[in-house]
Amino acid sequence: MKLLKPSWVNHNGKPIFSVDIHPEGSKFATGGQGEDSGKVVIWNMAPVLREEDEKNENIPKMLCQMDNHLACVNCVRWSNNGIYLASGGDDKLVMVWKRAAYIGPSTVFGSSSKLANVEQWRCVTILRNHTGDVMDVAWSPHDVWLASCSVDNTIVIWNARKFPEIVTLLKGHTGLVKGLTWDPVGKYIASQADDRSLKVWRTMDWQLETNITKPFNECGGTTHVLRLSWSPDGQYLVSAHAMNNSGPTAQIIERDGWRTNMDFVGHRKAVTVVKFNPKIFKKKQKNGSSQKPSCPYCCCAVGSKDRSVSVWLTSLKLSHGTLNGLGILVCSMDGTVAFLDFSQDELGDPLNEDEKNSIHQNIYGKSLAITTEAQLSTTIIENPEMLKYQQEKGPVEHHNAADHETQAPKLTSVVNGESLEDIRKNLLKKQVETRTADGRRRITPLCIAQLDTGYFAYAKLSKYWRPQVLVKSVFSFSSSVNPLGTGAAPAVNSNNIKPNLLLTSAAKIEPMKALDSRFTERSKATPGVTISSSAVGLTMLDRMKDGGPLKDPKPKEETSSDSEDKMAVTKLSFTKRKGEVEGPEVVEKKKKGRPRKDTKMTPVSHAVQQVTPSLEKETSRVAAPSAAMKLPTVTLQKVFSLQVGSSVFVEVENEVSTVGGVRFSQLRCTREGREWDTLLTSRILTVAGSSEVIAVACEDRTLSVLSACGRRLLPAILLPAPVSALHCSGSFVMVLTACATLSVWDVKKQVILVRNVSLLTILSGTDTTVSQSLLTQQGVPVISLSNGRSYCFNSSLETWNLIADKQDSLVQCADFRNFLPSQDPMVSSGPLAIMQGRTLNAGRLASRLSSTPHHLQQGMTLAYLENQLASALILRSSQEYRHWLLIYARFLVNEGAEHRLRELCKDLLGPVHKSAGSIWEDTVLGLRKRDLLREVLPVIGQNLRFQRVFTEYQDQLELLRNK
Amino acid sequence: MAKVQVLNVAVLDNPSPFGNPFQFEITFECMEDLPEDLEWKIIYVGSAESEEYDQILDSVLVGPVPAGRHMFVFQADAPNTGLIPESDAVGVTVVLITCTYRGQEFIRIGYYVNNEYTDPELRENPPLKPDYSQLQRNILASNPRVTRFHINWEGCAERMEDSENVDPAPNAMLPPSCPAGKAPSLGLMPDNSMDCL
Repeated sequence: MKLLKPSWVNHNGKPIFSVDIHPEGSKFATGGQGEDSGKVVIWNMAPVLREEDEKNENIPKMLCQMDNHLACVNCVRWSNNGIYLASGGDDKLVMVWKRAAYIGPSTVFGSSSKLANVEQWRCVTILRNHTGDVMDVAWSPHDVWLASCSVDNTIVIWNARKFPEIVTLLKGHTGLVKGLTWDPVGKYIASQADDRSLKVWRTMDWQLETNITKPFNECGGTTHVLRLSWSPDGQYLVSAHAMNNSGPTAQIIERDGWRTNMDFVGHRKAVTVVKFNPKIFKKKQKNGSSQKPSCPYCCCAVGSKDRSVSVWLTSLKLSHGTLNGLGILVCSMDGTVAFLDFSQDELGDPLNEDEKNSIHQNIYGKSLAITTEAQLSTTIIENPEMLKYQQEKGPVEHHNAADHETQAPKLTSVVNGESLEDIRKNLLKKQVETRTADGRRRITPLCIAQLDTGYFAYAKLSKYWRPQVLVKSVFSFSSSVNPLGTGAAPAVNSNNIKPNLLLTSAAKIEPMKALDSRFTERSKATPGVTISSSAVGLTMLDRMKDGGPLKDPKPKEETSSDSEDKMAVTKLSFTKRKGEVEGPEVVEKKKKGRPRKDTKMTPVSHAVQQVTPSLEKETSRVAAPSAAMKLPTVTLQKVFSLQVGSSVFVEVENEVSTVGGVRFSQLRCTREGREWDTLLTSRILTVAGSSEVIAVACEDRTLSVLSACGRRLLPAILLPAPVSALHCSGSFVMVLTACATLSVWDVKKQVILVRNVSLLTILSGTDTTVSQSLLTQQGVPVISLSNGRSYCFNSSLETWNLIADKQDSLVQCADFRNFLPSQDPMVSSGPLAIMQGRTLNAGRLASRLSSTPHHLQQGMTLAYLENQLASALILRSSQEYRHWLLIYARFLVNEGAEHRLRELCKDLLGPVHKSAGSIWEDTVLGLRKRDLLREVLPVIGQNLRFQRVFTEYQDQLELLRNK
Repeated sequence: MAKVQVLNVAVLDNPSPFGNPFQFEITFECMEDLPEDLEWKIIYVGSAESEEYDQILDSVLVGPVPAGRHMFVFQADAPNTGLIPESDAVGVTVVLITCTYRGQEFIRIGYYVNNEYTDPELRENPPLKPDYSQLQRNILASNPRVTRFHINWEGCAERMEDSENVDPAPNAMLPPSCPAGKAPSLGLMPDNSMDCL
């Protein structure tokens, strides 16, 4: 055995409360106290294992550190699949981390530390329910559940497949719960608490299986943790701190009858941590010919407050008192970590997962896969297909997820075919800036990477790596063992020498000091933070004297009233502002080059637009009585450029040349590197384009439609009024005129879809204006109003349909978050999502805060989801329809709404036998209904209550397929 | 924990004439979709002596912010010279970028700014009345001073809850040997974590 204390593994001298080795053995995590927060650090294992790696400066030691916990971290645990890391801390939170593969390492902005995070681990979910410090977290076998325990005396079982859903709360302990362990076959979970009891709970019904108190009766003093552990063969449960004849022990509890006849004796103080190596071992066969395996055994380490660790090997049937060693990481409250290294000879051969499974099957008679879902143990599965879905649930999700991965890496390095560098060069010009209804600037940030894109790539890779990395049966072991002597070298504290930032005059030192405080003090006017300012109370008081706090609101008010004025003026009339020429670029500039992910849709804001005098003169001459103008017109600009498609750029120069008194305007278009230009006789107001056409609206109210290569497809169209907004999508062209009328044409088929429809229906009330308009890929026009409502025009019914309403109380109250798929890139890019945008999130939030009775909430959610489905249908947004359909189905399945579910399935299936009178369409929005049903069925299959429904439709689908 | 992390701020157009707009390219990352917009502000400290001379150059809403990494350029006009005390026009001052969510400031990024005449003649004998057209603004971009504040990201309701909920057994579970470094309670922790170079 070798013992190593890698001094570089530390939290700058602060205590470390937990350590856990990644299932692959390639890295490990520590959790504990940070500078002023909790700290989780992920370390590279290689420098611990090999000295040459430790010396090699090119091999990173620290991979990532996360300071996100607000208070001390008590426990870190890797999921069994190695994808997630869970951490629990004194901030009452459990955080779940996942690796995101961004390009390149990152440092903390503004931090003095030059250490880059080699790997990017991101918190994917925060689990809030505990009302006290979280002491331990544990992943169930197969990562179906995550359990956490707390000093609030409870244990929370989280649904690890649908965070942050809570499966159940285990209540029964009357003291601080300080340790958790899952039965390796998933039938039980055991907990140990300060109430001198160890409880075993069934996962089938989450009821108490047994309550063991006898070995703990004598226990007095407190231990920080009580980390118990279950042996990997499932036969033994070993407790932390127990007493036998006044001596501290680790109690061995046999699964068979929960007998407590044996214990580990020898520690002089209370046992705080017990940890089994997750592997089962067998002795190495010396003569290779004999394949008869020796009796397998488990290995267990016991840590105590007496600052020592003992390691034990137990045979499956009897416990030997053999002291033996193996690879263990031990952490201590002195902030150090020690590694006990063993050769495989000493250790024995670890069995692989299959061998371990077969041992489980021999003992427990069923495969692990079946025990992953609680209901299964009580319900008989009638249909083999159903069984398949129940079993495949996990893998299926993973598989689907893996499909995303192929597209993900592209997203991270380039957006819309542009490199990050190119984007940065033009970001200011290209970023979308609008004005809110109250006249404030609003910038839509450019998304340069989606979160978690790297996770799947990582998961996939690890699948292949695993066999090679299996190597050592290393396991980690965390305890609050008191300092192992005084040998620990104190970390050289970074003494906070403030570098003199002043490169210039020394005379300015005085004001500099005065300025320093400005960096650290929060604005006074922030509401709701007055309580927290108690720590900086002194300075705050000083401020008060100066009348400081009163200063801030003043300029604020000024700016807001200023903008209100502006708005009022614009709304009142356009003519009144004749004299004032507002910088005409303002509006156009904001529209320029929209570096959107989805360039197919182009919403444009009309919130604040002014009419320049020149244009007004022009338009009044052309006709169109300005009194009838309900919507702002487009401002004329001499020169402007904009991006109209993913790689289509248009530059316009008005009045570029004068030939004999006639002025021409030039339009230059660059599409995928090829350029063309064309001349128009009138000045160009605005341009819109798609992959197929380019539409140009001119000052003389004409609309020209050009092909992608600049051919004129139609003679100029004369519009009834000046243009207010222009959109193209595919071969569709949409015009919104200043007289608040809307037209949509399909220029390829040369048909009209929407004929000069008035917006007066939806522009009720004097204050409402159009805030956004867009044309979907399917040619459906959508109008957003300043009152927060969005409508689309349905050309077949000739109706305006409400598709989004920010004031809609249904939106506020619907709670469907749990039914959202974990990965869904689509939802943010569809027309429905664009129009609803923020409301979608508002609903999620409200659902958490409101204490609506369940049945009411259920009703609201149902109504909301049905609205979404209908809206997606009317917008002809097939991907969004599918998205909401699946959420709807999940909701129905979860809420047990059988009638609706059946109706849904019935419509998707259609008539099994063809009859002449049938009006059933087999597709919806281009999606085959029966394919949709095939997607819905696995969702139904997840709830055993609906297995009859499942079987019924499964059979019929099968029947139809065979026809 | 903070849902928004500022990853980088690049100071564009620097150094530049005093009258040029400020331009900061801000890269940030958001852990989960934010239901509300972020509000960014640029504050120019007109005089070290008093906050009275602070000027909010501009404030801008940034949104929608879905989970992911984002960037934008925040441009704001140069300060109104009429509001700067003449004695403070030349020399070192500070520009601050703050970001608030639901009215709570969670990050404050400060830079020292040095305003100097480029002309050696003027530098030697600065005019009594500052000549802003001759001033150059130099933001010490390499030394951002970042202060992060803990805020309640879920809105005000939860804050109340946090401060009202008393731990079932406050600190009773800590072993006697538990270091003092363990933060006692969270709801009230202003956390002034300051990193500087």
